[in-house]
Amino acid sequence: MQIRKKMLGAAAVGVSAVLALGACSPPQDEGNGGGGENSVTWIVNQPGGGWNHNSNEGGSVYVIQMLHGVLPVPGFWSPEGQWEWNTDLIVNTPELIEGDQVSWEYQINPDANWSDGEPISAEDFIWQWKMTSGDDEICAEGCNSRGSTLGSLIESVEGSDDGKTVTVTLKEDAQFPGWFTFGADGLYPAHVAVAEGIDLDTADGMLESSHFFNDAPLTISGAEYVFDGTPALDGRTVKVANEEYWGDTPDIGEIILEVNTEEGSWVPALTNGEVQGAAPASWSDDVITQLEGLENVEFGVDSGGSWEHLDVNMNNEALQDEALRHAIFNAIDVQNIADRTYGEKFPDITPRTNHVFSTSSEFHQDTITEHGHGAGDADAALELLEEAGYELNGDTLELDGEAVPALRLRYTAGHVAREIISELIQADLSEIGITAEIETTDDLGGTLAEADYDLMLFGWSTTPDFYGSPHQYWHSESGSNFGGLDVEEVDTLVDRTMNSSTPEESAEHANEAAALVAEQAYVLPIVDTPAFYFYDTSFIDGVTDNNAQSRRALWNQHEWTAVN
Amino acid sequence: MSEMQSRIAMSGGGPENPEQPVAKGGDLTQIQIIWRRFRRHRAAMISLVLLALITAFAFLGPLVWQWGHTVNSDIPSNAGPSWDHPFGTTKQGNDVFAQTMRGAQQSLKVAFTVAVLSTVVGATWGAVAGYYRGRVDAIMMRIADIFLIIPLIVAVASINGNVRGGATWYAVALIMCLFSWATIARVVRGVVLSLREQEFIEAARAAGAKASRIIFRHLLPNAAGPIIVAATLLIAVAVLTEAGLSFIGFGIQPPDISLGKMVEGARTAAFTRPWLFYPPGVLIVLICLTINFIGDGLRDALDPRQTMVRR
Amino acid sequence: MLVYTARRLAVAIPVLLAASVLVFLMVDLSGDPLADLRLQQPPPSEEVMAAAEARYYLDRSTPERYWLWMTGIGGNGDIGLLQGEFGPSVRGGAFDIGEQLASSITVTLRLVTAAIIAALGLAILSGVVSAMRQYSKLDYTLTFIGFLALAMPTFWLGALIKEGGLWFNQTTGTGFFYTIGANSARVSNMTNWEYFLDSAGHLVLPTVTLMLTSFASWSRYQRTSMLEVLNSDYVRLARAKGVPNRVVVRRHALRTALIPLVTVATIGVVGIIEGVVITETIFQWRGLGYFFIEAVKTNDAFAVMSWLMLSGTLVVLASLVADILYGVLDPRIRYE
Repeated sequence: MQIRKKMLGAAAVGVSAVLALGACSPPQDEGNGGGGENSVTWIVNQPGGGWNHNSNEGGSVYVIQMLHGVLPVPGFWSPEGQWEWNTDLIVNTPELIEGDQVSWEYQINPDANWSDGEPISAEDFIWQWKMTSGDDEICAEGCNSRGSTLGSLIESVEGSDDGKTVTVTLKEDAQFPGWFTFGADGLYPAHVAVAEGIDLDTADGMLESSHFFNDAPLTISGAEYVFDGTPALDGRTVKVANEEYWGDTPDIGEIILEVNTEEGSWVPALTNGEVQGAAPASWSDDVITQLEGLENVEFGVDSGGSWEHLDVNMNNEALQDEALRHAIFNAIDVQNIADRTYGEKFPDITPRTNHVFSTSSEFHQDTITEHGHGAGDADAALELLEEAGYELNGDTLELDGEAVPALRLRYTAGHVAREIISELIQADLSEIGITAEIETTDDLGGTLAEADYDLMLFGWSTTPDFYGSPHQYWHSESGSNFGGLDVEEVDTLVDRTMNSSTPEESAEHANEAAALVAEQAYVLPIVDTPAFYFYDTSFIDGVTDNNAQSRRALWNQHEWTAVN
Repeated sequence: MSEMQSRIAMSGGGPENPEQPVAKGGDLTQIQIIWRRFRRHRAAMISLVLLALITAFAFLGPLVWQWGHTVNSDIPSNAGPSWDHPFGTTKQGNDVFAQTMRGAQQSLKVAFTVAVLSTVVGATWGAVAGYYRGRVDAIMMRIADIFLIIPLIVAVASINGNVRGGATWYAVALIMCLFSWATIARVVRGVVLSLREQEFIEAARAAGAKASRIIFRHLLPNAAGPIIVAATLLIAVAVLTEAGLSFIGFGIQPPDISLGKMVEGARTAAFTRPWLFYPPGVLIVLICLTINFIGDGLRDALDPRQTMVRR
Repeated sequence: MLVYTARRLAVAIPVLLAASVLVFLMVDLSGDPLADLRLQQPPPSEEVMAAAEARYYLDRSTPERYWLWMTGIGGNGDIGLLQGEFGPSVRGGAFDIGEQLASSITVTLRLVTAAIIAALGLAILSGVVSAMRQYSKLDYTLTFIGFLALAMPTFWLGALIKEGGLWFNQTTGTGFFYTIGANSARVSNMTNWEYFLDSAGHLVLPTVTLMLTSFASWSRYQRTSMLEVLNSDYVRLARAKGVPNRVVVRRHALRTALIPLVTVATIGVVGIIEGVVITETIFQWRGLGYFFIEAVKTNDAFAVMSWLMLSGTLVVLASLVADILYGVLDPRIRYE
């Protein structure tokens, strides 16, 4: 009996240990109160890296989603890609003031205060400029900034009228078509850094403030929501309605963002009522298939924020022949690729026919089809090749009796869609006698920078502010013109794209440049990567995705309504 | 402990004649005895047949099956099971049946490589340590300890995480070996420690046999029983580890495929397209199950006492 | 006893030190922590790269970096295991490796404790029953269940268990089981009872997932050792003396037969650690397993190293405890 008692004792100790672990009273956090009412839990599919979205670590869509509704923004892109001012914060309609130097002016709502009572002022705009200036005299070590074209073009940001009027002036001769996007990811409260004893007028002080905002989350807010407790970049972020907000109080009183990296767990959690929605940054056929069978769930798919393309390395000897490049592009069947990658769940998908603008953009012009690129027409490709002196000998393409060397086709390991695309391209090219050897890379940046490829499959992100992109892609001196395109006319055009005063003018130059690039058969656009979102209609209403913003479907969270 | 070890030693077959430790004829009868005992273990026999079938499916199947495991534009996208594609097809146009064969092949290749290589290295290491004892033993076993304290899956993940793209089946297998030979070394050392005290080893030593001869001709063959059992179980561990690695994204990388990779890719399809989820998963379970039963049967066959109880 | 413990500790320290070299080399030589930064578009300037390399000590040689990692002497004060500093994380200042490890442990500990207790209890029960009814239908069934659990990939099993929990919720109309996380978001205004239910509802499914593998192998050990004891001379003697079967089993057999399990279970820490990595991914717990995977994925070298050292230390400690417990429990063993 003694042993039995001992065993029982041991069991009791064990069980009570579990109970003690589970049942100690709930941890109390120093909250901003409120919450609990109309609470919505939303999935963020990757952890963030830092709380300053301007920094290298923090500059991700995930961080911008977490900070959304806490940092004030001057304006935002609508789902249709139209710029809209945030009339809660900016009471005028800023316009470019032509003069010796380009400038514009914001008038801040006099009622607009941070939740600690301090006004939202010019100081906050000034900090944003300094942070992104990339100028070591203003900001030591570039403030660890992820870089910004606009920030580097600004000469000064000045406040007047008690800091409620802000004037931004560009450097001499500088123009930027996307001038209005200044601060669009959110403004930080400069006064909080000052209160920490940081001198923002020195370069070192700015660097310190950059780290200060990166290392710890804000405790105050300048918008509809405020963090409750301590949010975690790799865990849970709880946002509750900001009681000090001067505008309308949102109907959803609490938004909880949960980092969840395991896509297999999303739909079970949704059906179990643990989460109410998500707008993941990655595509998954199976998640969509699971969603299709569910009641009370609304989901949508649309072209997302990036596009896939095939790049040619101009330094490859064989590929220096323009005819070969055109033939390769002609042989690839892009519609088939689109169908087999995303077509099943997104039947509307079409080949992308412009390097800068997707089909839905108002500036879109088809620069691809006229060259027959992406048509998957092996006969036309062979005809082109024969004209240029090539010969198809059995299964091998030959030039002057010598086989065209095998081409190395590379993409990032683990990227499912690119895996499919590369295998399809390989099959297409074999029809014109070209061998493509698929080789994955685990270091996309390095592979690109060293141009360690013959054909490269990768993606560019696409945002409505396209102005700097053509320069980045194609200028002969750009660090991101990996394949080494060097055409003087293109250089001129992409310079003009960046140096225009209006988006329309800029787009015109961008399209001209894109047409030249197509003529060179340098880059073959493939498809816009689609994105999907879903939410539980028995909880919330008014959710729409917004692929023009990093915030995706959360963009209008303050307008969502609760369903009872 | 010592009781068990001597039992294992007995079961390994204590040769009567130390001068001719493992004579051909005697060896055959030894194997025959073990085989007879093994055959009585019904679950193990069934498992052996099943495993043979799976192996044939994995290695011979691709030779006769009409589709390859790679993308083929003649294959429809996302089709359900049919006579042409018994396990359906993937989105990009793979025949899942062919993929399953290829996946099983790669998983088995990884598993057998790990088992064989780890056993060769581990058994030698453990035997040398056990034979020399003392300081050599202490140092060698501490080195083995180092590899034992890092869990296999995390060790491989931390290396593989960075050779992604280069993580072919043999890379995965080699890295797994690096962290699994020590288990075998421990087992073998224990056995050898007790074996070396036995008379036939003493006799060999007295007859002036060299250490290497004693280790490889006398000690290791007589420790064959536990070594075979441990190696068998390692196969199952390797299959599961590879699957787990694939799940967290650090296993064999595409365009190659393994069973673990297939289940990982289909884990959200369990209820929408079960034909993608279940075949590779069931195959993993079958491989591990059969191997565990075979290990069990071998243990019984090599350990006469337990078999006696059973009869 | 004390002397023995001290001697074992003295052996454990060089092993850990050697392991630290292995861990360091393994991680250091196999990846570039700044890969993500290099990948950035537009590419960062050379000064930014140089500053980053200096910040993460990548401008030093490998042996120097190891020395720094261990001692922190010559570093910026954010490195040196022996000083309790884990090194800078490439995920930026918001990510303090030490703090994150500490908070991860508390999450994981809950899961691991529950799983170990459940696995031990079930393993003892099923092992003893199996041994006492050797070769009965029950024995074969339990053996088969054990083998099956051993043969299933944890993540496959986890997916099935999760579906089981969801099915339970739907059929009963309750929301008892949760499929993600260790707790709900809003716990501060819960009563103790609600909080307990919430914790339990989150805990059960991952515990079952994590438990099954250990249960399977432990119950095999328990069965074997129980059989061995039941066939031993002293149990036979007790039986011969006419002691009732129940008493023999409880008083004489079970106690002795538990001893090997203690050792096995303590060493089983390795298996548990592997299981935690996968279980926490399936159920999205923010514990040590998740910490590890994110660290590997972000090439966060110092975080991976710290994690591996922590798990190594746990394993070494566990085997130390196993050795000592073995002596305490088994009167036949005396330490020299």
